[in-house]
Amino acid sequence: MAQQALTEAVYYILLSLYKPLHGYGIIQNVNELSKGRVKLAAGTLYGAINTLVEKGWIDQLPENPESRKKEYVITTAGKAVLAEEYSRLKELVDNGRSLMEGK
Amino acid sequence: MRKVVHKIFWIWELEKEQAWINDMADHGYALVRAGRFSFEFDDSEPGQYIYKEIFLKGSSYSSKNIEYFKFLEEMGITEVCAINYPATCWVYLRALKEDYPGGIELYSDVESKITYERVMMWYMLFAAIVCGLGAALNLFMAFTPYNGVSYLNLFVGIGVLVIMIFALVDFIKRVIRITKLKKERKIHE
Repeated sequence: MAQQALTEAVYYILLSLYKPLHGYGIIQNVNELSKGRVKLAAGTLYGAINTLVEKGWIDQLPENPESRKKEYVITTAGKAVLAEEYSRLKELVDNGRSLMEGK
Repeated sequence: MRKVVHKIFWIWELEKEQAWINDMADHGYALVRAGRFSFEFDDSEPGQYIYKEIFLKGSSYSSKNIEYFKFLEEMGITEVCAINYPATCWVYLRALKEDYPGGIELYSDVESKITYERVMMWYMLFAAIVCGLGAALNLFMAFTPYNGVSYLNLFVGIGVLVIMIFALVDFIKRVIRITKLKKERKIHE
């Protein structure tokens, strides 16, 4: 079965974690990537992070005793999921382009 | 200086209570402790803080909820106080208003909003059932033939019955809200 579509939040969280980030860093990064369109709320991000860690798509880095903030990074499995989602989104865009613009 | 205000908010008046606490904060009184019928405030800059009340499963001391509060703290949202009930807790959060000028919004996706509304919906139903049983018991006792009419039981019974109706109304409101959100989820994230 083909992979189900990712939510916009999950897609952007995974993309953001190509470099290690803590929670607030993810929110800022997603906001920047989407030019202010996607504003992740703290509770939603918390739920998403827990689910992604459970699925093994992201990993928590060993805690830095100085900052006390937990940092996360994408795993190989997460990258594979993202690549598949990228192909799915590309298909949507390609079909949209060919039908709407006749290209 | 600490200021204590005694006030009652019913369980279905979450939004009203939150609006009142935020109004107090706008007037320079920042909530520091909340009890079931009393609220304690400390002086603060008018409009320095913004508050949000949430309902969580488990005690506010559970490791799961402490983890959540730690995470929220990274976002500048702190847990001020909480009231613990069996298996649930009512939590008062706050942040600097300049960081959250539009209010503290914890959920940005439909799914989390549905989950939260569902927890509240069951809570209201539970409250309505407990009140319903209380009302039935009191009304039964009020009219037991061998006792004569007990006005105390009658008043308590009617009072609890009214509370039950309000809780039921809130329950129905949340069911409608969930149905609307589910419809939205079919076409939007």
